[in-house]
Amino acid sequence: MAPRALNSIWTRVKRERSRIGLFGLYLFAFATWIPVVAAFKNCIGELVWITGASMYPFLNAEKDRTARRDVVVNYKYNAQYGLKRGMIVTFWNPYNPELMTVKRIVGIPGDVVRTRNPYPVSTVKVPPGHIWVEGDGGERESQDSNTYGPIAAGLVIGKVTHILWPFHRSGKVRWWEYAEKIRDRG
Amino acid sequence: MPFLGHPLRLLLATLKGLALAHVGLTYGFSVGAGWGPSMLPTFMTTQEWFVTDRRCRRGRGVRVGDCVAYGIPVETGEEGVKRVIGLPGDYVLLNSPGLAGEYEDEEEGGGGTAAGGMIQVPRGHCYIVGDNLPWSRDSRDFGPLPLGLIKGKVVAKVSFDSWNPLYWFSKVENGLRHPEAALARPG
Repeated sequence: MAPRALNSIWTRVKRERSRIGLFGLYLFAFATWIPVVAAFKNCIGELVWITGASMYPFLNAEKDRTARRDVVVNYKYNAQYGLKRGMIVTFWNPYNPELMTVKRIVGIPGDVVRTRNPYPVSTVKVPPGHIWVEGDGGERESQDSNTYGPIAAGLVIGKVTHILWPFHRSGKVRWWEYAEKIRDRG
Repeated sequence: MPFLGHPLRLLLATLKGLALAHVGLTYGFSVGAGWGPSMLPTFMTTQEWFVTDRRCRRGRGVRVGDCVAYGIPVETGEEGVKRVIGLPGDYVLLNSPGLAGEYEDEEEGGGGTAAGGMIQVPRGHCYIVGDNLPWSRDSRDFGPLPLGLIKGKVVAKVSFDSWNPLYWFSKVENGLRHPEAALARPG
């Protein structure tokens, strides 16, 4: 019974093969690469187009001159570990779990951070496993930890390591140069 | 090696297979071991595995009463399993649902009253609690959990207590019952 059913399937496949032919074979060969690309984008990294002015003037610096958005590299390998002050990270927005957000790390666990306007208290100690993130754009442009509080490092998707577009600002993100400026605030 | 083909071709096929497995485990279903007493009536302390539906990642389609696997916010990289008792906008008791015997006199509260106060779960968050209330670290300690930390919904538990693989899996039900159905139960 079972071999007979298999046989009918096989004859059908052979009959279809003449119709699918070489194009179908190429299509299948293309499809086998889709999981490879998806796994790479999920584990290693991907390109991200920056929306909004919350990281102005570091990202989207020409926001009032062009509608073209900055392109950055979002490096995802071990992204939730080794987070330092000054790094730019992408994370799932705590208020909207489907929205990827990009901000700069201002405080790591144990830091005492001086908060900005919407936050109810003036200083806050970052709890273990959490980070304090703020946009470079300031309290007018950026909705950040001053609105939703310290975020869990588990929400982090990736670190922004390189700017690719626009060309004159492209290159490695020198986040360590910002770590000193942050310390002045606290 | 004429049987397996050219080594490079074999390497590529292995790579593609691993990538396909990764995509299936990330966006489909994944299986993992769990440990701990925090969900005791529902899950054993040890020797039990969970099947997690990763399509419910970041709280997609999660309802009150579902068991979810989540990244523990205070310990990056660690995962836990708890039950969702509040979604954005819901009002939850901070000490809910009250431990029997913790409060001796009725006036102080306990037993499901608002002893520790009541909050509204903020948008994009949920409130999770373990089934074994005295032995669970959950939202009562670290507050509402961002939905982005939810890895998936636990749909089945696996216990290898039989030789027959068909008996390994048992479905995990949503713990929420309609109030009329709960009242209609004897006792």
